[in-house]
Parts: sequence; structure tokens; C-alpha cells
Amino acid sequence: MGNVKRLRFTKQKCIGCQLCGQVCSATHEGAFVPSKARVFIETYYDKGGDLKYKDSYCNLCGICFKNCPTGAISMDDKILVDHDVCIGCGTCAAKCPRKVVRLREEKSYICDTCNGDPMCVKVCPQGALIFE
Amino acid sequence: MLGYQNKVLRIDLSKKTAKTEPLRMDWAEKYIGSKGLTIKYLYEELKPGIDPLSEDNKLIFMTGPMTGTTVPCSGKLSVAGKSPATGTICDCSIGGHAALRIKYAGYDAIIIEGALNKPGYLLIEDDNISFEDGSELWGKGCHETEAILIDKYDHDYSVLTIGPAGETLSGMACITSDYYRQAGRGGMGSVMGSKNLKAVVVKGTGKVEIPNIVDAVKRIAEIEREDTLLEDNTFVFDLGTTAFLEACQDGGILPYKNFSDTTDENWTEYNGDVLMEKLAGKRGCGSCGLGCGNFLKIGDAICEGPEYETIAAFGPNAGNRDPEAIVKANQVADDMGLDTISAGDVLNWAMEMTEKGIYDFGIHFGEMDKYIEYLKMMAKGEGIGKELAMGVKKLAEKYGGSDFAMHVKGLEYPQYEPRGSWGMSLAYAVSDRGACHMRAYAPNEEVFAASIPPYTPEGKGELVFNLAQFNAVKFSLCICDFWATLSMDTMAELMTLVTGKEWTADDMAEVGTRVINIARAFNQREGFTAKDDTAPKRIFNDALKNGPAAGQKIPEEAFEDMKQQYYAVMGWNADGTLPDSLIATL
Repeated sequence: MGNVKRLRFTKQKCIGCQLCGQVCSATHEGAFVPSKARVFIETYYDKGGDLKYKDSYCNLCGICFKNCPTGAISMDDKILVDHDVCIGCGTCAAKCPRKVVRLREEKSYICDTCNGDPMCVKVCPQGALIFE
Repeated sequence: MLGYQNKVLRIDLSKKTAKTEPLRMDWAEKYIGSKGLTIKYLYEELKPGIDPLSEDNKLIFMTGPMTGTTVPCSGKLSVAGKSPATGTICDCSIGGHAALRIKYAGYDAIIIEGALNKPGYLLIEDDNISFEDGSELWGKGCHETEAILIDKYDHDYSVLTIGPAGETLSGMACITSDYYRQAGRGGMGSVMGSKNLKAVVVKGTGKVEIPNIVDAVKRIAEIEREDTLLEDNTFVFDLGTTAFLEACQDGGILPYKNFSDTTDENWTEYNGDVLMEKLAGKRGCGSCGLGCGNFLKIGDAICEGPEYETIAAFGPNAGNRDPEAIVKANQVADDMGLDTISAGDVLNWAMEMTEKGIYDFGIHFGEMDKYIEYLKMMAKGEGIGKELAMGVKKLAEKYGGSDFAMHVKGLEYPQYEPRGSWGMSLAYAVSDRGACHMRAYAPNEEVFAASIPPYTPEGKGELVFNLAQFNAVKFSLCICDFWATLSMDTMAELMTLVTGKEWTADDMAEVGTRVINIARAFNQREGFTAKDDTAPKRIFNDALKNGPAAGQKIPEEAFEDMKQQYYAVMGWNADGTLPDSLIATL
């Protein structure tokens, strides 16, 4: 596991553009639909007075893989969900510490790092998201 | 064409109805979106001569085909209606995230008609539209209003709100979103206020589609790397618009004490470097990699910015050099929902009136505690503030001082001294919404790039046309001004990627000219002609005394010459009107 590349986020560099969620959905859902993206990071002003961050991205911790009761989730250097096997039980989503598993129509959707070349990192303009 | 949702949400506040209709794609092909398309809708739908603060006026929030996509700097929203400040068309461009959420909710545009019978706000959650009671929000500042609404809903909602200035129907009332972003100019906030509409709250969870999206986002990502994230553009990340302070100072166009002169020898006390020491964070708009927003804290004073315009208006032009006072005044103006440019020019004019002994408004240059109190009084319509909220044009008609009332058509001057950049006097004069620096930004060529001599009328008609045509396209695509290296070719490529229809640079240029023409046609229908394309007498009569442009004034004949050059390039008549043949192309 030590040499596996994973997403890392530095909030001090994030400007809240949300290009990550847009490009993720474009790549995986065939449309710009950030509500379905597997990475979503936003910044906001808390009551106008403090700049806050909400980040939701997979860092390949493997908890979903370890807890999947059907073996639908595999993990090598990336997570893959076999939708023929997934029964949509939601265990992965419930156990995910970062709340980045998307469940819809009884299937689970998890970041696959764009097969080792994540688009979210490619579009991140300020280097807030890196893959290393 | 893809890129669009092909859906308009039409709200009738009087009847409390919300209906959807197809976007006029025949118009979109000619005007694209955002600025151009919203002006086309208003040109077709508003009756000439209506009162901008009556139920007859409409307020349009218009996105563009690139909104919600990864096209860099595409997160802006056009906000438009007939301006109560000028009586002209007025489209503003607001940043933040509202544009994206409107588009993801499924709409290209929201057209708001009629008026509520009591204060309320509009809640849009995808297809679900409701009219909510806003009586407890009425009277509150923009910041408190947004905080209450975000607390009630969530951070994935956008709030577009007005402050007290919009409620008192001031011509300098803006609309605010993401706390610190404004549709600033021409009183769009009071159009909203006249409709008893305190806020629009929107969340969108839907999708935006473009052709061949997997390949398209890769190409767009390349464009972002190769064309957007360049040093020529990324200064807005490092310094934001505070960078213009030094550039304008060095170029002799930083106004001082209500444009009575330029240059403040102590300008370094409040320049960008000083302000950046107080940086508490960076935040940009949706879909933008440049992240111009500087979140600053100086003592109790907080703002995102201050932007160049506000620094100049509340700094040297107000005879003030205390950066904390600039930030505090900015914070108060933002919360009150006041346009800092117009409010600043009004107070700076009032200070000159007082010091010249023409009329005692009770405020002198540099009195910033009073300045901040006056901003609140202007927004709330209290005491002398009620008078000042009229704007410099009407104030000068009542109290005198018209020679140094800095406005065109009732919209106050932005903070670029035209005697040091003659083309800018033309740009202000012929802009579609009164004195505006966003329609054609002449200092870029005349001062910063020094590609054309600044102190001559020669070539200025063509210069202003080229700049205005380019911006008309850019703002019709909803792309931000800060992507400075953007070209017509890149805009055409992006349009082709997003819509699936082939666009060329020539097609884009044609749209730009058409957008300028329809805005002019709207104003012409309201009675505006060449006689309204003016400059304040100060520009003609008084030579600058200090700075690189010392000795400069613009002879009135030179100004008229520039106007005629511009009309000729546009194919307009000598009286500034459009010939019927051009109107037929709209």
C-alpha cells in the first residue's frame, strides 16, 4: 500500500472553483452533474466571516473494499465496483469515513482514480488536489 | 445546440406563478447567451418608456452555453433590466456560484415579472419553485440575509439578495451573492426591491450536456493550462485587482479627490502589497481557476477585495489613505447593498461641494468615519443620505456642481481618469449603461500596453469599437474579464466544443457587433442620442496638475471627433442613432 498513488488535498490552496466535481461527472456520467461526482470540494464563507472548506474525495483507505459483503468491490491500486455483483446494500457508503460513495439506483459508485490519471487533478488550477 | 438547457423559468410575482418555456434558440444563435441574449429578451419584451421601478420592468438572470461546464472563468451570471439610474438598458455580471446553480437547476434563464404584494423571496430547488415570506428579512443587510438563508437551507444553495439600498429603491443598489460578489451597477438591486423581492435562493442538482464530453473536457483542460493559467492572467490570483493601483498610479490615471487631479504621493500606504499582508484566504467563482477573490481582515474590518474600483473610490478619490477605512467602508457598502463606485463618487462629489462652499453636505475629504455613516444613511434613505442616494446627476441638477459631477447618463464614473487615457472618455460616453469601464477598457492599450498614444483623439473610435466588440462577445459567453489572454479564436473554439455547432472568429465578431447594436437600439427607443454621449465638463476644462498626465485635458472638439469616429465605425448616423438598415439586422 505504501507505494500506491492516492488523491491528496491541501485546503490552503483551494479556491472553491468546483472544477473537480464538474470534470469528474463529465468523465464518469457523461454530463456536467456535480451532484453525482465522486469528488466534491467546496469552500464557503461561514456567515460571511470565516472561509471554510468541505472536502469529499477518496483516499483509497480500502474500508469499502474490506466491508463489502458481496465482493463487488475490488481494490488493487484503485477501487472498482462490479455492478453485476453489487446489490446496492449501502454498506460501503455507510462505512466510508469520507462519505464519498455515491449510491443510486441500487448501485454503488466510487472514485476509480480515472484509471490512475485523475481528471480532477488535471483541472485543479492551483494544485490543491494532487495524486502521488 | 447543446450547452443550453433550452428552458427558461418565467416567474410572475404578481400572480405567484412559475412557468417554463423553451429558450428562444433562434435568438441564442444570434446573441449566444448572458449579456447579448438578455438584452435581446428585454428589447423584445419591455415596452418603451416604462418606469424601471414599476411592475412593468423585468429582471432577468441569464446564464450562457458555457455555464456549469469546465470552460475556464465561465461562472458569471448576467443580471439585467431597465436601469432606474439611467433609463437605459443595464446588464451586470455577477460572480460566485449562482450562475452554475441556476443552470444545474435546469434553466438557461430566470425572467422575473410583476411584483410581490409584500416582501418575500423566491426558492428554486430544481423543478420545485416556491414563494416564501420575507417580512423578517426586510430591512436586514445583505450579509445577515444570506447568513440566515444559508443557515435555513445549506451551503449548496446560492443566495442572490438585496440590502437596504435595494429596498429604498436607490439607483446605486446592487444585488449580492456569495457575500462579496455583486451585480453592482445601474440599480438592479432596486429593480428587485421594487418587486418586493428580497432574495432568490437556488439549488441545482441536474446536468449540463455538451457533445463528445470526454474528449471535450480534455481539450478544455489543455486550454486552461495553455491559455488561462498564464502569468499574464494569474496576477489576479496573486494580487487581485489591487495590482491596478500601482499601474494606474504610474500611468497617471488614478483619480484624486473627486477627479480634481491624479496622483497621491502617499499611495503606497494603501497599495496592494499593504493589503495583501492582511490576506485571510483566497476564493474564486465557480469554474474559475484564477481565484481573484482576496479575503481580507484588518482589525474588525472584513471583505473579499477590496477591488481596485473600491480602493480608488474610497481611497485617493475620497482623500483617504487609511487601508482599514477602505476595507471597513467596503464591508459596510457590501452589507448595505450599495455599489461602491457610484456611492463613492457621490460622497466624493459631496465633499468637493462642501470644500468649495457651494453646498455644505457636512463632510470633507478624508473624513472616513462620517463617510461610513453616510453610506449607511444613503442605503437606508435617512437624513442627508436620502438626498445623496439620488446620484450625482440629479444632485448636481438640484445643488449645482455639475461641472464636476462625474457621470454619463446618470451612472457615476469608474475610477480611471480619462484625461490620462482619452479613449476612456469615449468608452464611458458610448457605453450602453452610462459610464462603465467594462464595455471597452481603453487604459489597457493607451496606458498599460502603450500600444497607442493616450493624449490624442486619433484612432480612438476604432480602438473603442474593437475593445467593445470583443467584450460584448466575451460577456455573451459569460466569460470573465480576467481571462486577459483570451482571443476570438479561442472563444470560437470553446463555442464549437460546447454547442457542437461550428463557430469561427468572424462569427463571434459578428455577434459582438450585433450585441452593441441591440443595446444601442434599446436606448435609442428610450430617446437617447449623441447628445447623451457626454463627459463631465471638468474633463474638458481643467488640466491635470500632477502625475504623468500633468497638463492634460481633453478639448471638446477632440471628444466630439472621437464620438464621430466611433459612430462611423459602427455604421451609425452622425446623431448617434442606428439607421433602419441596422435595426433590421437585430
